[in-house]
Amino acid sequence: MTAMRAMLASWEEIFREAAARWTLLAYFALSTLFILIFAAAVNLDVVNGALAGAKLFGQSVDMGGRSIDIDRLVLGFESGFSGFLYIVGTFLAIFATAHLVPRLQEKGTIDLYLSRPVGRVPLLLSRYTGGLLLAAANLLYLLGSLWAIIYWKTKVAHPRFLLAGLSILFTIAALLAFAFLAGVVTSSTGVSLMTTYALFFLAALLAAHAKIAAAVSSEWTARLVTGLYWVFPKTAELGRATVALVGGRGTLRAVADMNYFAVYGSTALFLLTSLTLACWLFSRKDF
Amino acid sequence: MEASPIQVIGLRKVYRSRFGSKRIEALAGIDLDVRAGEVFGLLGPNGAGKTTTVKILLGLTFPTGGQARLDGIPCANPESRRHVGYLPEGHRFPGYLTAAQTLSIFGRMSGVDARTVKGRIPKLLERVGLADWAHVRVRKFSKGMTQRLGLAAALVHEPRILLLDEPTDGVDPVGRREIRDLLREEARRGATILLNSHLLSEIERTCDRVAVLRQGRVAAQGTIEELTAQTSRYKMVVSAPDDGLIASLQETGAGIERVNGHLVVSTRDLEHVNALVDRVRSRGAMLSELSPVRSSLEDVFVDLVTPSPSPPVSPSGSIAGTESQTGGRGDGGDGGDGGTGG
Repeated sequence: MTAMRAMLASWEEIFREAAARWTLLAYFALSTLFILIFAAAVNLDVVNGALAGAKLFGQSVDMGGRSIDIDRLVLGFESGFSGFLYIVGTFLAIFATAHLVPRLQEKGTIDLYLSRPVGRVPLLLSRYTGGLLLAAANLLYLLGSLWAIIYWKTKVAHPRFLLAGLSILFTIAALLAFAFLAGVVTSSTGVSLMTTYALFFLAALLAAHAKIAAAVSSEWTARLVTGLYWVFPKTAELGRATVALVGGRGTLRAVADMNYFAVYGSTALFLLTSLTLACWLFSRKDF
Repeated sequence: MEASPIQVIGLRKVYRSRFGSKRIEALAGIDLDVRAGEVFGLLGPNGAGKTTTVKILLGLTFPTGGQARLDGIPCANPESRRHVGYLPEGHRFPGYLTAAQTLSIFGRMSGVDARTVKGRIPKLLERVGLADWAHVRVRKFSKGMTQRLGLAAALVHEPRILLLDEPTDGVDPVGRREIRDLLREEARRGATILLNSHLLSEIERTCDRVAVLRQGRVAAQGTIEELTAQTSRYKMVVSAPDDGLIASLQETGAGIERVNGHLVVSTRDLEHVNALVDRVRSRGAMLSELSPVRSSLEDVFVDLVTPSPSPPVSPSGSIAGTESQTGGRGDGGDGGDGGTGG
């Protein structure tokens, strides 16, 4: 019971902090602005399930006299937007939550938390889950609002669009676990942020591990590249998988050769390893 | 038999530098036993091991050896902190929370349900003099107000044990008195209080017993009266103390001073005192008062923590401070008027 109360209190604190921080308010404000512009600017003329005409910012869009299948159009937009959101959403979520551990470990702050009858691991996990809840709330707000507006404008509802949120949240979970590990070790928000962003890009580069391994001169380096590819989260593949998840059959073919089990499975393993290591180090640390 | 609320047995802590080349012994095996309902003061110069002791008790730092228990439960177990309220030195509450939100969050973290905490907050803020500041963000608070809020957060779950690190730090004199009264109230309620403070006057006014730490060891432990009483110096009020009497007393090896019409005698031991009394009587003088000269806690503290050729280390539980004082004074002979000798 104490652990549950402590977790709820910790979540409340994280949300209150987020509400007090300008970065997150700005994120919500920008999201809202984007949603409103999208709602106001796009006017579609749908006839028998096909797009007969469209107006963007009050200007008619030249469609060359053809009608476009509205279902495919919406799907295309949603899958494209989910790819954009994969990068922006992940970066913003890490930016908004990477400080959670370094700030907790600050002198004069950590004493206040650890002097309560809550174990160190539950305390760290409450911060982690709180950070994820915050990221989920942001994603739900943005994806949910856009989905509702698209439905309002086109009467086309694709629940798959909302699945993008889960895929993005999974990526955030893996990267946040690493940010927590870096935070526990260094107690620095800056280092935590930089290393996590570096990991994102390095892991994306390693998507081309086969080509890189073939290009390097020594076998040892080739093995290292391949090894790192399997250790790191698959950030590039996860992005493509998110788009494919929303796009459905049409886009899936483009990533048909992707081993989904390996992509999600190895990333989940990375998440668990990072989080376990963070908990282990945090529980052994002298403050 | 019920376990003492705060128990420290042979506690050791060695800090090592990052690469293990340097080794600092912060605690060299200390023993403390704070009884239920007692207000216990922990004294010592910077680096004596006070904060390390408190941090080990709260599970913030891990001991190298020995045991530390709260309510009979080893400190490694978070359950030991269920009935503990802690006010750390230089604490930093999240600035974006209001006073009421702070108490609500930290109260629930201590396992109290939301409704109970909500009911306690107004009373608690009233008690620490922050009733009008309940809905103001903590970042706008002065240092004294933050300290009051820290005290409220330490009390929000009505703990049986209070560990307070410099509770009056940054608080004005009126506020200090209020905090002192509040601590006395808590002690009357039955709370056991461990007070860590540099303000010796605070300790002297508030604590039932104190321990003085020096270089990671307990240099002295006992009640204020025990620590400040000196068995080697006595105030002796004698009718018409003439030079002959004084010379007679000095023959025994006693140090004699005339202070405001009475004599202050420095003796070796109790036997020596009795011999002096016999001499006074044998010369027909009337003895109207004989009492030990007490020094202030500050004198005792300075004597204990000032490095000397033979450090005043003694086993815990005894009044090591008094013993070391006697030794220190003995070395100094009849030097001075109750100064520290340091």
